[in-house]
Amino acid sequence: MESVTPFTMFTIFGIPISSTVVATWTAMAIIISSVIILGKIKPIMLQDLVEFLSNLISDIMNIDSVEPYLPFLGSLAIFLAVANIFGSFPIFSSPTSDLNTPIALALVVFFAVHIFGVKAQGFFGYLKDLASPIFMLPLEIISQISRTISLAARLFGNILSGDLIVAVILSLVPLFVPVIIMGLSLLIGLLQAYVFTALSSVYIASALEVETGEMNK
Amino acid sequence: MNQLDPQVLITLVTILVSGIGIIFGTAIPAIVEGRAVLKALDGITRQPEAANDLRTTLLISMALLESTAIYVLLVLLVLLFANPLIDRFF
Repeated sequence: MESVTPFTMFTIFGIPISSTVVATWTAMAIIISSVIILGKIKPIMLQDLVEFLSNLISDIMNIDSVEPYLPFLGSLAIFLAVANIFGSFPIFSSPTSDLNTPIALALVVFFAVHIFGVKAQGFFGYLKDLASPIFMLPLEIISQISRTISLAARLFGNILSGDLIVAVILSLVPLFVPVIIMGLSLLIGLLQAYVFTALSSVYIASALEVETGEMNK
Repeated sequence: MNQLDPQVLITLVTILVSGIGIIFGTAIPAIVEGRAVLKALDGITRQPEAANDLRTTLLISMALLESTAIYVLLVLLVLLFANPLIDRFF
Protein backbone atom coordinates (compact mmCIF):
# COMPACT_ATOMS: atom_id res chain seq x y z
CA MET A 1 0.00 0.00 0.00
CA GLU A 2 2.94 2.32 0.63
CA SER A 3 3.91 2.49 -3.01
CA VAL A 4 0.32 3.04 -4.16
CA THR A 5 -0.86 5.80 -1.83
CA PRO A 6 0.30 9.36 -2.60
CA PHE A 7 3.14 10.83 -0.57
CA THR A 8 4.51 14.34 -0.11
CA MET A 9 7.40 14.91 -2.50
CA PHE A 10 8.49 18.43 -1.52
CA THR A 11 7.07 21.68 -0.17
CA ILE A 12 6.84 25.08 -1.85
CA PHE A 13 6.35 27.99 0.60
CA GLY A 14 4.98 25.58 3.17
CA ILE A 15 2.46 24.02 0.77
CA PRO A 16 3.05 20.27 0.53
CA ILE A 17 3.22 19.04 -3.07
CA SER A 18 2.17 15.39 -3.27
CA SER A 19 3.25 12.90 -5.91
CA THR A 20 -0.21 13.12 -7.46
CA VAL A 21 0.26 16.80 -8.24
CA VAL A 22 3.68 16.17 -9.76
CA ALA A 23 2.23 13.37 -11.90
CA THR A 24 -0.63 15.65 -13.00
CA TRP A 25 1.82 18.39 -13.95
CA THR A 26 3.89 15.90 -15.92
CA ALA A 27 0.80 14.64 -17.73
CA MET A 28 -0.15 18.24 -18.57
CA ALA A 29 3.36 18.96 -19.82
CA ILE A 30 3.33 15.82 -21.98
CA ILE A 31 -0.07 16.70 -23.48
CA ILE A 32 0.78 20.35 -24.16
CA SER A 33 4.23 19.68 -25.62
CA SER A 34 3.02 16.81 -27.82
CA VAL A 35 0.17 18.96 -29.11
CA ILE A 36 2.58 21.80 -29.92
CA ILE A 37 5.04 19.46 -31.66
CA LEU A 38 2.27 17.69 -33.58
CA GLY A 39 0.79 21.02 -34.59
CA LYS A 40 4.15 22.02 -36.07
CA ILE A 41 4.96 18.74 -37.79
CA LYS A 42 1.68 17.04 -38.70
CA PRO A 43 -1.45 19.13 -38.07
CA ILE A 44 -3.56 16.51 -39.86
CA MET A 45 -3.13 14.13 -36.91
CA LEU A 46 -4.60 16.69 -34.51
CA GLN A 47 -7.52 17.16 -36.87
CA ASP A 48 -8.06 13.40 -36.97
CA LEU A 49 -8.02 13.27 -33.17
CA VAL A 50 -10.58 16.07 -32.85
CA GLU A 51 -12.81 14.48 -35.48
CA PHE A 52 -12.57 11.11 -33.74
CA LEU A 53 -13.58 12.68 -30.42
CA SER A 54 -16.35 14.65 -32.09
CA ASN A 55 -17.79 11.51 -33.68
CA LEU A 56 -17.55 9.62 -30.40
CA ILE A 57 -19.35 12.31 -28.43
CA SER A 58 -22.01 13.01 -31.05
CA ASP A 59 -22.76 9.25 -31.20
CA ILE A 60 -23.43 9.26 -27.48
CA MET A 61 -25.17 12.61 -27.07
CA ASN A 62 -27.46 12.22 -30.09
CA ILE A 63 -27.82 15.95 -30.76
CA ASP A 64 -27.21 17.99 -33.90
CA SER A 65 -24.19 20.06 -32.91
CA VAL A 66 -21.71 19.02 -30.23
CA GLU A 67 -19.54 22.08 -30.78
CA PRO A 68 -20.32 23.85 -27.47
CA TYR A 69 -19.51 20.71 -25.48
CA LEU A 70 -16.59 19.32 -27.49
CA PRO A 71 -13.83 21.40 -25.80
CA PHE A 72 -14.88 20.29 -22.32
CA LEU A 73 -15.56 16.62 -23.04
CA GLY A 74 -12.66 16.23 -25.45
CA SER A 75 -10.09 17.64 -23.07
CA LEU A 76 -11.56 15.45 -20.32
CA ALA A 77 -11.08 12.38 -22.52
CA ILE A 78 -7.54 13.29 -23.56
CA PHE A 79 -6.43 14.10 -20.02
CA LEU A 80 -7.97 10.94 -18.59
CA ALA A 81 -6.47 8.71 -21.28
CA VAL A 82 -2.98 10.13 -20.68
CA ALA A 83 -3.38 10.13 -16.89
CA ASN A 84 -4.66 6.55 -16.74
CA ILE A 85 -1.89 5.01 -18.84
CA PHE A 86 0.59 7.07 -16.82
CA GLY A 87 0.58 4.47 -14.05
CA SER A 88 2.26 1.93 -16.30
CA PHE A 89 5.42 4.02 -16.50
CA PRO A 90 8.09 3.38 -13.89
CA ILE A 91 8.62 5.99 -11.14
CA PHE A 92 5.23 7.63 -11.71
CA SER A 93 1.90 6.59 -10.31
CA SER A 94 -1.18 7.63 -12.26
CA PRO A 95 -2.84 10.79 -10.89
CA THR A 96 -6.25 9.13 -10.95
CA SER A 97 -5.27 6.48 -8.40
CA ASP A 98 -5.50 9.23 -5.76
CA LEU A 99 -9.12 9.84 -4.74
CA ASN A 100 -8.69 13.63 -4.92
CA THR A 101 -8.25 13.74 -8.71
CA PRO A 102 -11.42 11.78 -9.64
CA ILE A 103 -13.46 13.76 -7.11
CA ALA A 104 -12.21 17.03 -8.59
CA LEU A 105 -13.04 15.87 -12.13
CA ALA A 106 -16.48 14.61 -11.05
CA LEU A 107 -17.22 17.97 -9.37
CA VAL A 108 -16.21 19.75 -12.57
CA VAL A 109 -18.65 17.52 -14.48
CA PHE A 110 -21.36 18.15 -11.84
CA PHE A 111 -21.13 21.92 -12.25
CA ALA A 112 -20.70 21.73 -16.03
CA VAL A 113 -23.97 19.79 -16.34
CA HIS A 114 -25.89 22.55 -14.55
CA ILE A 115 -24.08 25.37 -16.35
CA PHE A 116 -24.82 23.84 -19.76
CA GLY A 117 -28.40 23.16 -18.69
CA VAL A 118 -28.93 26.74 -17.54
CA LYS A 119 -27.27 28.07 -20.69
CA ALA A 120 -29.52 25.93 -22.89
CA GLN A 121 -32.89 26.71 -21.33
CA GLY A 122 -32.49 29.65 -18.99
CA PHE A 123 -32.28 29.68 -15.19
CA PHE A 124 -35.96 29.35 -14.33
CA GLY A 125 -36.68 27.02 -17.20
CA TYR A 126 -33.94 24.67 -16.03
CA LEU A 127 -35.18 24.81 -12.43
CA LYS A 128 -38.72 24.12 -13.59
CA ASP A 129 -37.58 21.11 -15.58
CA LEU A 130 -35.54 19.84 -12.65
CA ALA A 131 -38.67 19.86 -10.48
CA SER A 132 -41.28 19.16 -13.12
CA PRO A 133 -43.42 17.01 -10.84
CA ILE A 134 -42.59 18.78 -7.58
CA PHE A 135 -42.56 15.62 -5.48
CA MET A 136 -39.72 14.23 -7.61
CA LEU A 137 -37.35 17.04 -6.56
CA PRO A 138 -35.78 15.20 -3.56
CA LEU A 139 -35.16 12.12 -5.68
CA GLU A 140 -33.65 14.29 -8.41
CA ILE A 141 -31.28 15.93 -5.90
CA ILE A 142 -30.26 12.55 -4.48
CA SER A 143 -29.57 11.20 -7.96
CA GLN A 144 -27.50 14.25 -8.88
CA ILE A 145 -25.29 13.79 -5.79
CA SER A 146 -25.03 10.00 -5.96
CA ARG A 147 -24.08 9.92 -9.62
CA THR A 148 -21.29 12.42 -8.96
CA ILE A 149 -19.95 10.21 -6.16
CA SER A 150 -20.25 7.07 -8.28
CA LEU A 151 -18.51 8.78 -11.21
CA ALA A 152 -15.53 9.55 -8.97
CA ALA A 153 -15.53 6.20 -7.17
CA ARG A 154 -15.69 4.18 -10.39
CA LEU A 155 -12.63 5.80 -11.92
CA PHE A 156 -10.68 5.71 -8.66
CA GLY A 157 -11.55 2.09 -7.86
CA ASN A 158 -10.69 0.78 -11.30
CA ILE A 159 -7.32 2.51 -11.54
CA LEU A 160 -6.33 1.81 -7.93
CA SER A 161 -7.31 -1.84 -8.17
CA GLY A 162 -5.18 -2.18 -11.31
CA ASP A 163 -2.20 -0.64 -9.51
CA LEU A 164 -2.75 -2.81 -6.42
CA ILE A 165 -2.97 -6.03 -8.44
CA VAL A 166 0.26 -5.14 -10.25
CA ALA A 167 1.95 -4.43 -6.89
CA VAL A 168 0.77 -7.73 -5.38
CA ILE A 169 1.80 -9.81 -8.42
CA LEU A 170 5.13 -7.96 -8.50
CA SER A 171 5.87 -9.03 -4.95
CA LEU A 172 5.02 -12.66 -5.77
CA VAL A 173 6.54 -13.11 -9.26
CA PRO A 174 8.81 -10.21 -10.21
CA LEU A 175 9.54 -11.30 -13.80
CA PHE A 176 7.33 -11.39 -16.93
CA VAL A 177 4.03 -12.22 -15.20
CA PRO A 178 3.23 -8.59 -14.18
CA VAL A 179 3.54 -7.52 -17.82
CA ILE A 180 0.26 -9.28 -18.67
CA ILE A 181 -1.54 -7.62 -15.78
CA MET A 182 -0.02 -4.25 -16.73
CA GLY A 183 -1.34 -4.67 -20.25
CA LEU A 184 -4.75 -5.40 -18.82
CA SER A 185 -4.61 -2.31 -16.60
CA LEU A 186 -3.59 -0.22 -19.63
CA LEU A 187 -6.70 -1.45 -21.43
CA ILE A 188 -8.86 -0.78 -18.37
CA GLY A 189 -7.41 2.72 -18.10
CA LEU A 190 -8.35 3.58 -21.68
CA LEU A 191 -11.79 2.00 -21.21
CA GLN A 192 -12.38 4.02 -18.05
CA ALA A 193 -11.39 7.24 -19.82
CA TYR A 194 -14.01 6.40 -22.47
CA VAL A 195 -16.61 5.49 -19.84
CA PHE A 196 -16.03 8.70 -17.85
CA THR A 197 -16.39 10.83 -20.99
CA ALA A 198 -19.42 8.85 -22.16
CA LEU A 199 -21.20 9.20 -18.84
CA SER A 200 -20.42 12.93 -18.64
CA SER A 201 -21.86 13.42 -22.13
CA VAL A 202 -24.93 11.37 -21.18
CA TYR A 203 -25.45 13.58 -18.12
CA ILE A 204 -25.00 16.78 -20.14
CA ALA A 205 -27.34 15.46 -22.84
CA SER A 206 -29.94 14.63 -20.19
CA ALA A 207 -29.69 18.19 -18.85
CA LEU A 208 -30.34 19.50 -22.37
CA GLU A 209 -32.84 16.91 -23.54
CA VAL A 210 -35.62 18.05 -21.22
CA GLU A 211 -35.83 21.21 -23.24
CA THR A 212 -36.58 19.40 -26.51
CA GLY A 213 -39.18 17.33 -24.71
CA GLU A 214 -40.82 20.53 -23.52
CA MET A 215 -40.72 22.01 -27.00
CA ASN A 216 -42.37 18.96 -28.53
CA LYS A 217 -45.34 19.26 -26.19
CA MET B 1 -12.60 -19.47 26.25
CA ASN B 2 -9.97 -16.89 27.05
CA GLN B 3 -10.59 -13.22 26.37
CA LEU B 4 -9.42 -11.87 22.99
CA ASP B 5 -7.76 -8.49 22.65
CA PRO B 6 -10.31 -6.13 20.99
CA GLN B 7 -7.78 -5.12 18.35
CA VAL B 8 -7.06 -8.73 17.46
CA LEU B 9 -10.77 -9.48 17.35
CA ILE B 10 -11.50 -6.54 15.04
CA THR B 11 -8.62 -7.49 12.74
CA LEU B 12 -9.84 -11.08 12.61
CA VAL B 13 -13.41 -10.06 11.83
CA THR B 14 -12.18 -7.57 9.23
CA ILE B 15 -10.13 -10.18 7.39
CA LEU B 16 -12.98 -12.70 7.46
CA VAL B 17 -15.54 -10.16 6.27
CA SER B 18 -13.20 -8.90 3.52
CA GLY B 19 -12.64 -12.41 2.23
CA ILE B 20 -16.33 -13.23 2.13
CA GLY B 21 -17.34 -9.77 0.92
CA ILE B 22 -15.02 -9.66 -2.07
CA ILE B 23 -16.30 -13.06 -3.22
CA PHE B 24 -19.94 -12.01 -3.28
CA GLY B 25 -19.18 -8.41 -4.27
CA THR B 26 -17.40 -9.49 -7.44
CA ALA B 27 -19.32 -12.67 -8.28
CA ILE B 28 -22.80 -11.14 -8.38
CA PRO B 29 -21.89 -8.15 -10.62
CA ALA B 30 -19.90 -10.50 -12.87
CA ILE B 31 -22.92 -12.78 -13.31
CA VAL B 32 -25.20 -9.83 -14.03
CA GLU B 33 -22.72 -8.29 -16.47
CA GLY B 34 -22.43 -11.62 -18.25
CA ARG B 35 -26.18 -11.66 -18.64
CA ALA B 36 -26.09 -8.14 -20.10
CA VAL B 37 -23.37 -9.13 -22.60
CA LEU B 38 -25.37 -12.23 -23.55
CA LYS B 39 -28.44 -10.15 -24.35
CA ALA B 40 -26.39 -7.62 -26.31
CA LEU B 41 -24.73 -10.36 -28.35
CA ASP B 42 -28.15 -11.85 -29.02
CA GLY B 43 -29.29 -8.47 -30.30
CA ILE B 44 -26.18 -8.04 -32.47
CA THR B 45 -26.58 -11.44 -34.11
CA ARG B 46 -30.22 -10.71 -34.77
CA GLN B 47 -29.63 -7.19 -36.09
CA PRO B 48 -25.99 -6.63 -37.14
CA GLU B 49 -26.77 -3.11 -38.37
CA ALA B 50 -27.60 -2.03 -34.82
CA ALA B 51 -24.18 -3.13 -33.52
CA ASN B 52 -22.74 0.37 -33.05
CA ASP B 53 -25.72 1.58 -31.06
CA LEU B 54 -25.76 -1.54 -28.92
CA ARG B 55 -22.03 -1.36 -28.22
CA THR B 56 -22.24 2.16 -26.79
CA THR B 57 -25.22 1.30 -24.63
CA LEU B 58 -23.58 -1.93 -23.49
CA LEU B 59 -20.35 -0.21 -22.45
CA ILE B 60 -22.17 2.49 -20.49
CA SER B 61 -24.52 0.07 -18.75
CA MET B 62 -21.64 -2.27 -17.94
CA ALA B 63 -19.78 0.62 -16.34
CA LEU B 64 -22.86 1.35 -14.25
CA LEU B 65 -23.18 -2.31 -13.25
CA GLU B 66 -19.52 -2.58 -12.43
CA SER B 67 -19.67 0.34 -10.03
CA THR B 68 -21.36 -1.89 -7.42
CA ALA B 69 -18.30 -4.15 -7.44
CA ILE B 70 -16.12 -1.06 -7.11
CA TYR B 71 -18.14 0.07 -4.07
CA VAL B 72 -17.45 -3.28 -2.40
CA LEU B 73 -13.76 -2.92 -3.21
CA LEU B 74 -13.64 0.61 -1.77
CA VAL B 75 -15.36 -0.40 1.47
CA LEU B 76 -13.01 -3.35 1.87
CA LEU B 77 -9.95 -1.21 1.14
CA VAL B 78 -11.03 1.23 3.84
CA LEU B 79 -11.63 -1.67 6.24
CA LEU B 80 -8.25 -3.24 5.52
CA PHE B 81 -5.94 -0.25 5.28
CA ALA B 82 -7.66 2.60 7.15
CA ASN B 83 -9.96 0.84 9.59
CA PRO B 84 -11.71 3.54 11.65
CA LEU B 85 -12.84 1.07 14.32
CA ILE B 86 -9.40 -0.03 15.53
CA ASP B 87 -8.57 3.37 17.04
CA ARG B 88 -11.77 3.38 19.06
CA PHE B 89 -10.39 0.90 21.60
CA PHE B 90 -7.15 2.74 22.37
